[in-house]
Formats: sequence, C-alpha cells, structure tokens
Amino acid sequence: MDTQGQNNREIIIGMGELAVSSQPSAVLTCLGVGSCVALCAFDPVTKIGGIAHVVLPHGDNANGSSPSKYANFAVPALLTEITRHGGEKSRLVIKVVGGAQMSTAFGFDGTFKIGERNVQEILSSLEREGISVFAMDTGGTKGRTVRMYLDTGKVIVQSVGINPKEL
Amino acid sequence: MTAETVELVSKAVTNAISGLSGMTGKQFRVFSFDLKKVKVKEVPYEFGGPEALIVGVYLKIKDKNGHIFVGYKPEVAAELVGMALGQEPNSTLDLSELEQSVLGEIGNLVGSFFLNTLAEGIGMSLLPSPPAVIIDMAGAVLDTPLSHILEHEEETLILTTNFGTQDKQINGKFLIAPMPALEQR
Repeated sequence: MDTQGQNNREIIIGMGELAVSSQPSAVLTCLGVGSCVALCAFDPVTKIGGIAHVVLPHGDNANGSSPSKYANFAVPALLTEITRHGGEKSRLVIKVVGGAQMSTAFGFDGTFKIGERNVQEILSSLEREGISVFAMDTGGTKGRTVRMYLDTGKVIVQSVGINPKEL
Repeated sequence: MTAETVELVSKAVTNAISGLSGMTGKQFRVFSFDLKKVKVKEVPYEFGGPEALIVGVYLKIKDKNGHIFVGYKPEVAAELVGMALGQEPNSTLDLSELEQSVLGEIGNLVGSFFLNTLAEGIGMSLLPSPPAVIIDMAGAVLDTPLSHILEHEEETLILTTNFGTQDKQINGKFLIAPMPALEQR
C-alpha cells in the first residue's frame, strides 16, 4: 500500500515539530510514534496538508522551537499554519494517530498513560475549534509510523509486524 | 558536563556492570565508555533511528524526574540473555516471556547498582521503579521517557558502553536523564 513514488519528497517531522506543505510530491512523515500523537490535517480542495507531532498534553507556554510540543498549542498552531498556506479550516480532513501505551508494567504510576492524555487533549482542542475528526488510530501498545501523501491526502499507518493500513 | 560528573557516571557504570558478575557467576567488566549530551529530539537516532527495532529496558527514578533507559539491538539483547542463562543465544529475535523477564532483571540489577553509586556521589536517595521491557521501534519505545524529560529539559545524557566477559562483548546504550543534582556537582 506504499504510495510513495520515486519523485516524492519525504519530510520527517520530529518530536514537537510541525510541517505544512502545498507540494503534491511531499510526504509528511512521523517515524516510530509511541505515546506521541501525529495530528494530520488535509484540505482536499487546495491539497494543502500538515502534521503536528505532539509530545505532551498540556503546557502553559508555547515552545518556540517546538510548536507542537503541547497539544493545547499544537492544534491552533497547525490550523494557523495551514490557513496561512491557503488551506480552509472548514474543509479540513482530520486524522489522529498514535497515543499508544507502550508498556503496562507495574509500578509506573500512570507514566505510560501519557499517550491517552495526549489524545484526549487534542480532541478537546479540536472541539474548541469546532472541528470534527474524520478518522482515528490511537491507543494500543504498538508504535506507529505515519505518512501523509499530499497528492491524495492518504494517510498510511505502519506498525512492526503488521501490514500497513490506510486510515 | 564536568570531569567530576563523567568520573562519577563512569564509576556508576563500572559498579553496575560488575553487579552482573554476581548474578551470572561470570566476570563482567566495562571495556569502553563514552558519555555525551544529546538533544532529546535526537535521542532515537542514537539508538539506530526512530524506526529501528530495539529492546528497551526502562526504569523511572521514584519521586524524581529521573529516567534510566537501556537499549539493545534485538540480537544483542538475545546475546546478553544467553550469557546470563549460560546458553546459546536465541537466534529468532523473538524474545520469550522468560527472556524478557531475564532482561528486566538485568536492567533492575544494573539500574540499582548504577543509582546506588550516583546516590552516594550526589548525596540523595535514588530508587528505581520496577523495570519495563519494551520491544518496538526505537522512536516508539523511547517516546514515553523522552516526553517526560522534555517537560523539563531539552538535552539529556547518552552513555555508550561496551561491556561483557573476556569472551563476549555487548554494546549497550544508556539514556540517563535528567539529573539536575548530577549536573550541578
């Protein structure tokens, strides 16, 4: 199901980073996402898309070098950046991927629940913006690699030992 | 990072690895040691890249924002388990529950010896959580400790070491973070 062609340009989005592109050849990618969340947004008319690689649920201050570090700042930051590129907020197709609980080991006092909290905060922030979610692949105990192909808006999710799937 | 910090961490690693000798009845020692500061976002690349399959053993330091994570390539983890159990390493790269449990115990032992030495050096109590053994992509395995570290710090310490017996050496990467008390020595 890999739709990446030879001419595609992969843009790797690291922890706390955000990328938006209007290039049809662009493939926005978050590699090995565990408790973090890849918040994917795509405007099917202008084919402008973006991903925010969210690390933590809530912060008091936006982080300049990591605009997607906190979910409560990442959601408005992604929407603003897409709008700035010419996308339309009301048309956005939103997909949320990640938020795994990578271990259920005893004795961590909720340490591994951070993924669940990330997803909850993203959904709350989207609701505040009046935006609904088209598809989600969240939770579980497996890591995910997420790729969004801007020529089609397809989001492909891959985990170790599992066939890639389109979301 | 001061010379005293490097010296203390070196001593802690040496003690931690020598702790394996008592567990296995074989003479374990550290052959090489390299400690460096790395941006938190770059840490998965120290473990082979975000998509590389690794075996991670994670211990959280109780009541402190401290984390110890040891990562091995799957074949190296299997080798270590084989050394601990005195048998040939599992060649399937698919670690059984017993093998994961052994890795957890090794992590527990190494982590406890490591923290005891650090605690003596910085004069505070450092107690590890039980170990969590996770096998997946490095980025995913490291996400939880790195997320908690990023709440307070942008950089962390990465220790690369070769250790083992006279016959066999193991390469392990340790993530140690963040320990303000250690930094301020």
